[in-house]
Amino acid sequence: MLTSTYRIIKFAFQNFWRNIWLSVITISMLVLTLLTINILLVLNRVTDQAISFVENRIEVSVYFNENADPAKVTDALTYLRTLPQVKDVQEIYADDALVAFKQRHAGDQAILSSLDELGKNPFGPTLIIKAHSAKDFDAIIAALDNPRFRDAIRQKDFSDYQSIVSKIRQTTDEIRTGGIVLSAIFFLIALLIIFNTVRVAIFIHREEIGIMRLVGASSNFIRMPFLVETIILSLLSILIVIAIVYPTLAFIEPKFNQYFGSGTTGLVSYFEQHGLLIFGAQFLALLVVTMGSTALAMRKHLKV
Amino acid sequence: MIHFKNVSKFYPPDVIGLDTVNLRVEPGEFISIVGQSGTGKSTLAKLLFAEERPSKGTVEIGGWDITKISPNDVPLLRRQIGVVFQDFKLLQKKTVYENVAFALQVAGIPSVRVREVVPRVLSIVGLDDKSHRFPQQLSGGEQQRVAIARALVHQPKILVADEPTGNLDTLNSRDILELLKKINEFGTTVVLVTHDHEIVNRLKRRVITLDGGKIVSDVEEGRYKL
Repeated sequence: MLTSTYRIIKFAFQNFWRNIWLSVITISMLVLTLLTINILLVLNRVTDQAISFVENRIEVSVYFNENADPAKVTDALTYLRTLPQVKDVQEIYADDALVAFKQRHAGDQAILSSLDELGKNPFGPTLIIKAHSAKDFDAIIAALDNPRFRDAIRQKDFSDYQSIVSKIRQTTDEIRTGGIVLSAIFFLIALLIIFNTVRVAIFIHREEIGIMRLVGASSNFIRMPFLVETIILSLLSILIVIAIVYPTLAFIEPKFNQYFGSGTTGLVSYFEQHGLLIFGAQFLALLVVTMGSTALAMRKHLKV
Repeated sequence: MIHFKNVSKFYPPDVIGLDTVNLRVEPGEFISIVGQSGTGKSTLAKLLFAEERPSKGTVEIGGWDITKISPNDVPLLRRQIGVVFQDFKLLQKKTVYENVAFALQVAGIPSVRVREVVPRVLSIVGLDDKSHRFPQQLSGGEQQRVAIARALVHQPKILVADEPTGNLDTLNSRDILELLKKINEFGTTVVLVTHDHEIVNRLKRRVITLDGGKIVSDVEEGRYKL
């Protein structure tokens, strides 16, 4: 049994080396396919990070009238904190708002003199509301229409963050769809190449296969080297992909981090933590599909 | 040893390979099957090692009915029947030793046993001094000896030789014939398929003549009559 296993593996490696260029082409296609899938994974991760980055910065500023009843402001604050969509509410008092405004426009003498001309604090209290996600802002804005404090509100400053998030999602969805189509095409090409690799290998070895049959080799012994060769091709492909993916991630991660702020993408650590699962699953899926293709080629072209 | 009972073989659409052949070959016999091209000689040989299945009748080898042999059992049968062909069927990129060893390796025989058996068999066929040569470095007769050596490594009970001298000159043909006789003397049943008059006449063994897929004569110590 051990002897046969050793010889099957040896014959598989012989097939691999004797058709080295065919093996190289097959591996290249498998690597391209796997790389596309991994790019999609990275894209997924980066998109999530980008959306969460934007969402963390989304807030609604609710400006109350300068003479608004503090009880109504407190009522609005308490009410907003009870909403499940609200992540945090911060109150800025009128005096603090004035100080902040003066600091912000310290270099603009015209604005500062206008304030002086008014002779009073034009700002009312302000509530800064943060939501869990951009989608929640519709509900929060609707909640601010509550008649208990609606009249006290002067202005709601809600930038259209949801459309920004939607744009990010839309763009990444389009890239993702393109990526999926591209991986499907690569995958199909890889399958055809595997099918052809096995077909050519069977053709090249037809004389040897005929003699094997003649001298009493079992069907399994004749078929197994082709399947083992497929395992070798798949294994080498996944190893090459791993060797490409990690250094590439290490290279691009700082650039993403610069954009998002330090340590936000965590691409390398994500792939390190889930590497076994990510590449293990890819290897298994690749193995199932390539061996299926090999079995199909053998069924069609290898009569034993 | 070999028993054909009412064996017929048809090929679509209407070609008759063998027509109701009855044949019994005893262990240790040396038989020649002769006949013109297309008379069913090779079909009969192919039925012996299950390369073909009969359309009608039964084929038994050593009491084993191989008429409807399962694909899984074919390798077991072929390890008990050595086969030699006119075109030698050697692997050109393997040496003499490797060609012979190949038959054992693909059957899962341990390497230690391979190293024991191969030199012994090469010595029987007289090629022990050429074991590292490649087939193209050998004469036709020597190549056929390699093929015979490969057929012998499993110590088969039956050796089927389908036109083994077809590609050889007279001298080499005689050498191969002597080798087959020697193998037969060791107790192996030899089935020789040939249309070589001289070989058959020189053998003076049982001769079965086929014509149109039928056995038209079966003579002990026969001669080539067609």
